Amino acid sequence: MSLKRFSGIALLIAILLECIVFASLSDSFLTTGNLVNIAVKNADIAILAVGMTLVILTGGIDLGIGSVIALCGITAALITGVTGSATIGFLAAVSLATIFGVFNGTLVAFFKMPPFVVTLAVLTIARGLAFIVSEGRSIGNLGTEFGAIGQANFVGIPLTVMIASLALLVGWFILNHTKFGRHVYAIGGNPDAAFLAGINVKKNVLAVYILNGLLTGIAAVVLASRLGAGVPNSGEQYELDVIAAVVVGGTSLTGGKGGVFQTLLGTIFIGILNNGLNLAGIDPYLQKIALGVVILSAVLLDRFGK
Amino acid sequence: MKMKNIIIAAMMVLAMLTLNACTSRTGDGGTRRKKIGVSLLARTDVFYRDMEDAMKEAAEKGGFDLIIQSGDKDLSKQQSQIENFIVQKVDAIILCPTDTQGIAPAIERANKANIPVFTADIAAGGGLVISHIASDNIKGGRLAGEYVVQALQGKGKVGILGHPEVQSVIDRENGFKEAVKTAEGITLIPTIAAGGKRDRALKAAEDLIQGNPDIKAIFCINDETALGALSVVESRGLKDVIIVGFDAAPEAVEKIRAGTALKADVAQQPKEIGRMAVEAVAKHLRGETVEKTIAVPVTLVQ
Repeated sequence: MSLKRFSGIALLIAILLECIVFASLSDSFLTTGNLVNIAVKNADIAILAVGMTLVILTGGIDLGIGSVIALCGITAALITGVTGSATIGFLAAVSLATIFGVFNGTLVAFFKMPPFVVTLAVLTIARGLAFIVSEGRSIGNLGTEFGAIGQANFVGIPLTVMIASLALLVGWFILNHTKFGRHVYAIGGNPDAAFLAGINVKKNVLAVYILNGLLTGIAAVVLASRLGAGVPNSGEQYELDVIAAVVVGGTSLTGGKGGVFQTLLGTIFIGILNNGLNLAGIDPYLQKIALGVVILSAVLLDRFGK
Repeated sequence: MKMKNIIIAAMMVLAMLTLNACTSRTGDGGTRRKKIGVSLLARTDVFYRDMEDAMKEAAEKGGFDLIIQSGDKDLSKQQSQIENFIVQKVDAIILCPTDTQGIAPAIERANKANIPVFTADIAAGGGLVISHIASDNIKGGRLAGEYVVQALQGKGKVGILGHPEVQSVIDRENGFKEAVKTAEGITLIPTIAAGGKRDRALKAAEDLIQGNPDIKAIFCINDETALGALSVVESRGLKDVIIVGFDAAPEAVEKIRAGTALKADVAQQPKEIGRMAVEAVAKHLRGETVEKTIAVPVTLVQ
């Protein structure tokens, strides 16, 4: 626990340093407006990162989320177009993503297939489906109800940010205060030992992937609503952005170590970096290098911290 | 050990997928029709679908067989498609390079195999290309810039959502900058990369506007970018920001007609590019000389 707290502190310091640097480079960085902007921009990533944290904690990975998001966005748009109700469209999108979760979880837990391969296949299949179903075109002009989630504000806080906060809170609670959460850590730490200790490994792994699917669906709705459209090439490389946030946060790719709070810090860290580099007017090519270097340094810092 | 298994399995999946892509179109009928291998940049955009349709039509007329594939904005994918075209011994290749410089070695391999290469829409940075058929992108950018200068009456802050990986897009940006620089009252904000996609543009536009609350105009290098920027301008309720797009895809034109912040758009003629590319191939195969670059005109929709 003390180790976990320390790695969190290292990242907090890094975030603070980041803020100081960007505040000195751009006047508009440290403003309420921009902080809300950073939160809105990263709401979808944060929701996905909660699910990815759970999956990675079991020693798994999900490469398919970006494609599933696109397919679900298209589904939401099409069904909204047909039924005239965005609510039904969004429910369909979340259901579809959850079905992908069941699919992934079943193959990983019961058929003992490597998550990397299963979800790599989903990455290409879901993207292909997104293009086929949408005939390769964005589906827009869906009315105000479709965009409502992306636009709504409550007491100055955007609804999308509230949804992301709720996802983080629930994810944190499940991992730290439920039996299921303890089992997830145990399975990731050592699946054989977990099995011998009487934990139903298969059932728990399946549940993790289903939960991840559900969260992917929610993220898909958030993104589609903000775009006001289903876009077949949306979500490309989201899996990498999300994995980066989880790993920078300090969750171990081999499973068993990490958590949702660390992931939140990782998401904030990368979110601030992308935003700050843009505000400071840094050359786009240089930004790519900066992002890589900073990700490496954050992980290095974490290693030395331990 | 486990990692090794995972990597081997992943490679097998990839190999299967590639194999599938290669074998999806074979068969060489009895009568020898000339074959043209086409690798588009993507099938996502209406632009390339229009180009594809026109190519098919022109090929039908000219009596060619087309093998149309999409590079999906992925250089390595496009390279392997070219390798396949070489193995299939096509009579000519038409490419929309996914990467201007990176595609050169693949073109050189086609040159070695004596297959003439043509580029459409996007130019290649190396290799021997018989002819390049494309919109006049610099002119298009200049049209957009002139529109912005006029609309802002020569003063105000102007931003660009770009995609500096692709030469044709860099040309648009340069044309735009050139036109905007003629007005002394206009301040140009450093370009922000938006990946040419709607979801990335959404996020890039948030930063652009956040960092420059007094921004008056945004030039977007394609319509997907423009529509992403439009979502942001609308959700923030900004009244005095104008957006200029590029491509004039139906969805964007609808937005212009509807009186949104998207005010103008540079129209390319993808069908013309497709048709002229196939015709250039036909001409070359008949032994006639073809111009090194064929510029397809652009217009401004407002």
